[in-house]
Amino acid sequence: MKKKHFYSHIIETSSLSIALGDMDLSHEERLHLISLAESNLHHAILDAILSELSEEDKKEFLSHVFSPDQEEIWKFLKGKIKNIEEKIKKIADDLHKELHEDIKEARLAPA
Amino acid sequence: MKFLRDRMRHIFFKKTLSEARPHYEYLKNKWTEKHRALKSTLWNKHQQSLHWAFKNLPTRQIAMGSLSGLMLLTPSLSLPSPSLITPAYSTFENIQKSPFLVSDLANVLPQEVRILTLSEETEITRILSRDLGFKVTAELDGKRLNRNYGIIGAEQHLARYPGDTMATHFDIQDEAQKFYSSGMAPGLSAWGYFAPSKNQFTKEDSLKEKYYIAVQTFLSENFNERFLEYRDFFKYRKMVVVNPQNGKAIVAVIGDSGPAVFTGKHLGGSPEVMDHLEREDGAKKGPVLYFFIDDVNNTVPLGPISVK
Repeated sequence: MKKKHFYSHIIETSSLSIALGDMDLSHEERLHLISLAESNLHHAILDAILSELSEEDKKEFLSHVFSPDQEEIWKFLKGKIKNIEEKIKKIADDLHKELHEDIKEARLAPA
Repeated sequence: MKFLRDRMRHIFFKKTLSEARPHYEYLKNKWTEKHRALKSTLWNKHQQSLHWAFKNLPTRQIAMGSLSGLMLLTPSLSLPSPSLITPAYSTFENIQKSPFLVSDLANVLPQEVRILTLSEETEITRILSRDLGFKVTAELDGKRLNRNYGIIGAEQHLARYPGDTMATHFDIQDEAQKFYSSGMAPGLSAWGYFAPSKNQFTKEDSLKEKYYIAVQTFLSENFNERFLEYRDFFKYRKMVVVNPQNGKAIVAVIGDSGPAVFTGKHLGGSPEVMDHLEREDGAKKGPVLYFFIDDVNNTVPLGPISVK
């Protein structure tokens, strides 16, 4: 039951795990960083979606968002926000780039 | 010689690095800061609708869905930030702890209800030990059950001493009303009566029957070869049972052996156990986690427990 968000199928997260896997980190540290990265991504995506919705639509979206029926969420979002999938992908890509930059910086950081 | 020197340097460097973990500290600080900013933005911009959601949507559904990510705590994070504490959120924080357990378990549990791998088992016992405040383990004294993740079915009440019937079974009227309909099993438990007579029946015996589970002891490795040893080990062995879908947990004893393999169920719970876990039999049956509790000094009480 690996936790999946409704947008998980359109974004790629493995590159971050792989980049962190190359660093000298304990298993717990790696998991913690991955969870932080995922949580950051989650907040950014929810913010992007909610920012495009009216107050009433926000409530409806939040009601849908925990539904096991992900098709229902997508149907709602596609009806309300133009090119929603592309927008989510872009948010995710931008944040991933930032996080990868942070990883690069971390490698150069003095011990 | 050069090779050895390089090797020693490598080992020394790696050990030093490992102790200091500068990469981790650097990224943790940076991403935590980023997280705070994102969280703050999200809650400031959409406070009204998010508060509405946490106030009005069912907790269980929130915990199982994408909103759970908004309340997930990572080890170094505090949520909510001081500026975001509102009455609604404070209330929420006070009553919600099991959602964190639900989320943590969801990240480890497999999609299907199957026997856990060793690494899954290790991670889950780590999570449960941390969240419940006592040591939870799949193996005790070198003994294991056939599985620790399975479908639970409903059991009936058990006769606790000779002469115990449904008419004598309940001490509290409320409990009688709630659990009478489950009825009493026609036979005795695998261990017989909980006490040899009504006079010798104790409060502890009563709790054992109230909070019992039946597990497939007969499927554990070496059970048949070392029957007496295994029987004595399993008898009233304390276990924790957790519904991973709502975070409800209960400490119970192994009070019976079963269910039979053909039932498709992997363990059974007393009416009280099923009620607390919010698990049902039949078409609505669902999975639970069940592990031994390492409680040498018998300090963990039987009954429902909350996430610490």
